[in-house]
Amino acid sequence: MLVQLAWRNIWRNKTRSLIVISSIAIGLWAGIFILAFAWGMYKNNIDETVFKQLSHLQIHHPLFSQENDAKFIVPQSNEIVEKLKSQAQVSAVSSRVITSGMISSTTTARGVKIIGIDPASEKKQVKLHEIVWQGDYFETGKENEILIGEKLAKKLKLKLKSKVVLTFTDVNSEIISGAYRVGGIYRSGNLSLDEVNVYVLRPPFREILGLSKNETNEIAILLKNESVLTQVKEFAKSIAHGLKVEDWKEMAPELRLVIESFNLYTYIITGIILLALTFGIVNTMLMSVLERVRELGMLMAIGLNKLKIFLMIMLETLYLSLIGCPIGLLIGWLTVKLLGNYGINISMFSEGLTTYGFSPMIYPALDGRNYVIVAVMCLITALLSAIYPSYKALQLNPSEAIRKI
Amino acid sequence: MAKTIIDAHNISKIYNKKMVPVKALQDVHVHIEAGEFVALVGPSGSGKSTLLNMMGGLDKPTLGTVIIDNIEITKLSENKLIDLRLHNIGFVFQSFNLIPVLTSKENIGFVLQLQNVPKKKRRQRVMELLKEIGLEDKMDNKPGELSGGQQQRVAVARALASKPKIVLADEPTANLDSISANKLMETMAKLNREENITFLFSTHDPRVIKKARRVITLVDGRVDSDEEQIPT
Repeated sequence: MLVQLAWRNIWRNKTRSLIVISSIAIGLWAGIFILAFAWGMYKNNIDETVFKQLSHLQIHHPLFSQENDAKFIVPQSNEIVEKLKSQAQVSAVSSRVITSGMISSTTTARGVKIIGIDPASEKKQVKLHEIVWQGDYFETGKENEILIGEKLAKKLKLKLKSKVVLTFTDVNSEIISGAYRVGGIYRSGNLSLDEVNVYVLRPPFREILGLSKNETNEIAILLKNESVLTQVKEFAKSIAHGLKVEDWKEMAPELRLVIESFNLYTYIITGIILLALTFGIVNTMLMSVLERVRELGMLMAIGLNKLKIFLMIMLETLYLSLIGCPIGLLIGWLTVKLLGNYGINISMFSEGLTTYGFSPMIYPALDGRNYVIVAVMCLITALLSAIYPSYKALQLNPSEAIRKI
Repeated sequence: MAKTIIDAHNISKIYNKKMVPVKALQDVHVHIEAGEFVALVGPSGSGKSTLLNMMGGLDKPTLGTVIIDNIEITKLSENKLIDLRLHNIGFVFQSFNLIPVLTSKENIGFVLQLQNVPKKKRRQRVMELLKEIGLEDKMDNKPGELSGGQQQRVAVARALASKPKIVLADEPTANLDSISANKLMETMAKLNREENITFLFSTHDPRVIKKARRVITLVDGRVDSDEEQIPT
């Protein structure tokens, strides 16, 4: 009886009910879109970090991350690399020699991180060749070629073929200088890295640093699937005795911080949307109760008890929510699906975002679980919003309510 | 001797006690027996509706007691009062009587549904009442599709659906034309005779007053006269 009465009541004023349904649908859509947009940003950022910079795992000397000095070596590196390559879950393994130093042009100098790489293995690892936008990717085979970022090139006023001098210390702490020529300029989309990382060929650089063929500073491991991270990490630990094996979350704590702050931001925005929805529903349902005061009084007079009155108004809101939620979910899903394929270009804000490693193209994405969470939150919000109007209905005195004009 | 169904003892009702007190009822004593057909008359503001509300348990007196079928209702909790109204008292109001989203037959069956009467029995009783009030052809119409008189007849049928001991009607003919008012009064009188239901209705329409077998007149919240008459 209450079920039928509440259902018919919501269609007494179609415009008002459609407004509530639209509010719920739009609120839900907005919640889904914001979560999907934020998650798209995180995912983009994580993918950039893992696939373009760090890889899933790295092996270093325990002190290397503190001082970034070439003297902190990974011994027996060739054996470790071979063992890792033999693992089915591993997609690529690269060995790098790294040190901090100074790069000088004819006009100025800056501190940089010098990374000696094997161009072929890095093609699979971080796909460095894909971001070279001027010059080429170590294709001349010249040992003194250097690949620098666009931002650094601008700061040092360098062009292709410009001559630079790298100054650094070798494993014996001897200061060494070497002349290099800019062979390529890359643009990674992460301005901080573009300004700091410079790449040279590993074998000659290793020799200059004084490392043996079986020594390196960093082994980067790219996995076929993130889900095997812990398993491969354990394996790497078992073969890299006395060395530090870290995953990308440990290596990029700033990324975690950014994600956490974005999470907070997302919750705040979702909260604001739900709060706005709450006011909308409270207002509409209260209006619906107040304009039915006489009728509610009559219902109480003829024997509908207060619990049933309360339930009837809650049911009315539940129906409106049960109509609005699937519509909001559908529109949200379609929006995420569409924009997830085509992406959203936020290049207007990209300069600030690329500093933090975010790409200007965002592909919103959201898993099924989050759709359910937002829908349930929306439903709970709607029901909580109905409590006050329902409570107001309970406060009515039948004899006074019937007299109301 | 007939059984006492309503016994209102020394009822007083004062509104706005803290600000400007309004004495709606003063020391009213009314005793009604089962099966009576009573008109409560008096000018506007004489306390007719207030007295009906007290007798129906919709409001509580400031002083005095109301006993319905040997139950002192002035001491009952809100939920017990609602339950008492559901099973013992039928109400007919001046206007806004029906649930606008329900059809005539659903409105009549509403109280029976609240009492959890089985569907078959409910349908039977609803059809019986629709026939009684002559609105069988309007059973699927919503209140908005009925005239004022037809709506009031449906309201009377709803008040009678659960076969209550008492029907309280607050100016049931106030918004009706004379033909509809006459028809409604005839329906009420017939049901009173045939089902022995006690009717107590407030009115100031002389044509309606003539239909009552007993007339209680209220003036300024007090019983001015209480007389029996032969209905015409």
